[in-house]
Amino acid sequence: MSAEERAVVGLALQVALWVVVVSIGPGIGVGWALARWSSRWKLLLQGIVMLPLVLPPIVTGYLLLRLLGRSSLLGQAFHAVTGGHIAYTSGACVIAAAVVGFPLLVESVRLSMLSVDRRLELVSRSLGRGRLSTFCRITLPLSWPGVVSGLVLAFARALGEFGATMILAGNIEGETRQIPLAVYTLLNRPGSEAAVVRLTAVSVGLSLVALVGAAFLAGRRRRA
Amino acid sequence: MIRVRLHQRFVRFTLDVDFESTGPVVGVFGRSGAGKTTLLHALAGIVKTAEATVRIDEDILCQRPGEIWVPPESRRLALVTQDPLLFPHLTTRGNLTYSPRGRSALQEAYGRRVVDVLRLAPLLGRSPQTLSGGEQQRVALGRALLSEPRWLLLDEPTAALDAELSREVLALLLEAKRSLGVRMILVTHRAPELLALADDCVVLDAGRVVAQGSPLEVIAKPRGVGVANLVGVDNLLRLAVERHDEVGGVSWLALGAGPSLGAGQSLATPLIEALAGDRVDIGLYAEDIILSRARPGATSARNCLTGTITALDPVGHEVLVSLEVGSVALRCRVTPGAVRELGLAMGQSAFALIKTTACHHLSAYRTLLPDG
Repeated sequence: MSAEERAVVGLALQVALWVVVVSIGPGIGVGWALARWSSRWKLLLQGIVMLPLVLPPIVTGYLLLRLLGRSSLLGQAFHAVTGGHIAYTSGACVIAAAVVGFPLLVESVRLSMLSVDRRLELVSRSLGRGRLSTFCRITLPLSWPGVVSGLVLAFARALGEFGATMILAGNIEGETRQIPLAVYTLLNRPGSEAAVVRLTAVSVGLSLVALVGAAFLAGRRRRA
Repeated sequence: MIRVRLHQRFVRFTLDVDFESTGPVVGVFGRSGAGKTTLLHALAGIVKTAEATVRIDEDILCQRPGEIWVPPESRRLALVTQDPLLFPHLTTRGNLTYSPRGRSALQEAYGRRVVDVLRLAPLLGRSPQTLSGGEQQRVALGRALLSEPRWLLLDEPTAALDAELSREVLALLLEAKRSLGVRMILVTHRAPELLALADDCVVLDAGRVVAQGSPLEVIAKPRGVGVANLVGVDNLLRLAVERHDEVGGVSWLALGAGPSLGAGQSLATPLIEALAGDRVDIGLYAEDIILSRARPGATSARNCLTGTITALDPVGHEVLVSLEVGSVALRCRVTPGAVRELGLAMGQSAFALIKTTACHHLSAYRTLLPDG
């Protein structure tokens, strides 16, 4: 692998790990809310969270650009405070991939929390543990396999993110160009077939390792 | 002391409960759907009813309207349900020390006593999945007791267990009551459990309290047909032991002198461990009694009692015949066809045939454990 390709893979891994880091809290929170709330606003929240799953990624990217781009209110406020920009940075890669992968994480968390017997939580409360303590001691440990597999899905999805990233972060070599954008760029460059094959192999390999690893972790957790 | 007043309209029924009791064990009795579990959940604070007052001793746990609402975790009312609901990701020890007080309680004399009484020591390192149903329920009880609750809320704790295991759990509850001084609210639809454990009994029907009193009072002298039906044991007799016939395998109980026929008769029951002169409680189902107009020849039924018919009440597709024998009134369930064929009528004399095994010794539940 050339230095250029190594940089692409390194950036992809970094972005995917950051996606996991920034998604874990909100993913657990929203997944829990969707599993346990009985409010009518739940359906609206669920719709909004699931939107990136069905929207064309390019449209998601466009909406994010309108929200965070240099001419947007948030983008300007960010610039005023930090002097930098959100769009067209590796941070933007993280944001785009996190948003697109979020529904996968939330759905996995939601389903695994739904499968936790609510009566266990009620018993925990009656034994003197408050809501938060019950959540941390009962709900979260019991739904952990679902949380882990959701995070892995989000990680793998981040490795493959293309559309939204291209719009919000662009295709800047060494800054925002990850595996899919690199493959796309190389496909348009004559004589780079070998590089395309190498990156494809890395892409398949990483995703496979992640998925198998998650299945293994979830299985071991369940047997424990 | 516990004081409860709840009002809430549900789709199927309205819960409208108002009682007060000093326990130490309050039995809540009623058929399924009567609102027993909802009552417990409201006490525990996991169901909010529209109007609610719950007071324990001097503390007000909730007052609605009035916006006093103590959350479940601060009520110190531990819930034990039909399913043990052990936390599957924790060991037995982890379950026992789960409550904030559990860890220190386990080190103290009280905790060691709980472990002793419930025989938990050999189970401590095991995970809940490897425990039998009875063991799981013992751990669930221990977990609740170690949270040092002011009252234990028991929601049919033996319903999921077979007869032998439920007797065992019942004995443990009795022991917890005696030696640990635990106060309990016991929801059940099994009359023998009430007799064994409860000091005070509240009967619920369709969301309302229809009777309250000592279990024997409520069960033996049900006020109104509703309570009688709820209780299910049609005949509850407290009789003195006359003598034991160990060779014949029966104990004879005196039926007492009454105003009518049959004074001085005795009831044969399976052998009872009690001294002559002791009074014991016998339960007898109305459908286990055969009525006859003429004295039958030799039968295997040890009891052939003669009495006078004092009432014939149609109940559904059956007739409940009251037969006065000595000082007791036996309720016997027969079909309308039998009433017609035998020509049963008020004031007539009749014979009641009862197998000894149909006479259930209810005080047995009280003597499962040695006194002391």
